[in-house]
Amino acid sequence: MSYMPDYIYPLLKLTANNIRRHPVVNLISISIIAIAMLLLSLYFLAYSNAAQLVSTWRADLRIIVYLDDDISEARLADLKNFCRELDEVINLQYVSKEQALENFKKTLGDDAGFLDDLPENPLPASLELSLDRKVAAVADVERLARQLKRQVGVEDVVYGSYWLRHLFSLLKIVKYFGLLFAAFLSVVTIFIVASTIRLSLYSRREIIRVLYLVGATRTFVALPYLLEGIFQGTLASLLALGLAYGGYVGFRNWLKLQVPQWSISTQLHFFSPLTMLSFILLGTLLGIAGFLLSSRWGFRD
Amino acid sequence: MIRVSHLNKSYNYPNMILKDVSFEVKRGEFVYLSGPSGAGKTTLFRLLFADLKPDSGQIMVDGVDLSRARAAIIARLRRRMGVVFQDYKLISSYTVFDNVALALEVSGSPRSLIQKRVWEVLKTVGIERQIDRFPPQLSGGEQQRVAIARALVNSPRLILADEPTGNLDHEIAEEIMRIFNYINSRGTTIVMVTHNRALLQCFKRKVFYLDQGNLQAYVWPD
Repeated sequence: MSYMPDYIYPLLKLTANNIRRHPVVNLISISIIAIAMLLLSLYFLAYSNAAQLVSTWRADLRIIVYLDDDISEARLADLKNFCRELDEVINLQYVSKEQALENFKKTLGDDAGFLDDLPENPLPASLELSLDRKVAAVADVERLARQLKRQVGVEDVVYGSYWLRHLFSLLKIVKYFGLLFAAFLSVVTIFIVASTIRLSLYSRREIIRVLYLVGATRTFVALPYLLEGIFQGTLASLLALGLAYGGYVGFRNWLKLQVPQWSISTQLHFFSPLTMLSFILLGTLLGIAGFLLSSRWGFRD
Repeated sequence: MIRVSHLNKSYNYPNMILKDVSFEVKRGEFVYLSGPSGAGKTTLFRLLFADLKPDSGQIMVDGVDLSRARAAIIARLRRRMGVVFQDYKLISSYTVFDNVALALEVSGSPRSLIQKRVWEVLKTVGIERQIDRFPPQLSGGEQQRVAIARALVNSPRLILADEPTGNLDHEIAEEIMRIFNYINSRGTTIVMVTHNRALLQCFKRKVFYLDQGNLQAYVWPD
């Protein structure tokens, strides 16, 4: 083991020489990998944020049951009991016609004056049902809404599942497309790294020839190129992460300025440390894969 | 040190470059491999350090059968021998020190030993003052000295040299030959490819003469 550093030093020296003496090739390679990784990171950042927002909205799922104006007190009490006994319902709130009007006025703010001129309150009373997130699958919400609509004294039932269902379907497509996109970008990246290393091998054939002549093993000759692939992949993924973070912060600030009343900007998130680590690891693995592919072309004595 | 038996080699069968070549070089000998252009000298030279594989026959170098040896064994053998070329085969982007040190680095020698040993061999070939220069900044004779230093740095038992004076003028060539003689006097076996008759007459040694792929051994006559 004591001689290990003596092997490592020349390998690192050769790797550093390879990188230092071919800055343009390395720069091009790192830039292209970084662009591919940036596209990948932005895509998954957008996907994971969209998925989380939808899941937050899903957790807030509510059904609003609008009541007939002429519903009797007894029927209202029965309906409340019926709703409370449903497994999916975790909270129930009765909103009277007067309260509904008051809420609406608050929403309209300064524009609410016209409501005072109305001959009568047009808003119906309602029951707002909060649903248990564990059973609040889209299909359940629809079934529940149909069930409630059939009840006597119910004028209409409103729930947000129609567009949510479409959003879910869209996200599913986005997810699968993302995996395909990731696979495609990975293959492209591997070929870029491989081509760069191949180019390096060609331009350094003089050194490789001499190394073999003085008794270097194939492993000794190849290792600097493996290290170069790792260096390119890791640096490019770090660069891509940095750029993605810059883009994320910029977008969040822009959103805050554009729609200050909307709390969406505070709900956005960047990758977790574990995801970032996996991302860097992916870059490193792409570098290694590029090296392995290029090693089919070179390193022959 | 070297035993070649019934060696045959062709690049384009049936045109044989080497035909049933057999010879032996004893430990500590200094021999020339000579002959006209196209006689197969360089092919035989490349076969001796396993840069080529023979079609048939056996090549034993320092106890290793080159026709059967795996790459790792050949790499180990090359660390025990030095190879010198007419075109020096130095890395132009490496300094003199780095070029010579490379031969020790591939075998994992400690850095302290590398520093000491490289300095020693550069002094032996008289080029220690150029240690930080790059090959393109040196004359042909100086570059060949660096190549010899690189071949020497591992204290090899065998040195193979292919026309090491081919690109040099007579005076410098004699200096290089004196270095080889000195190395040989310290017990290193040397096989040198040359077609320079003046050199053969000046530094008389056993000559293996190749002609159209056939080999004959004799000592240069007075």
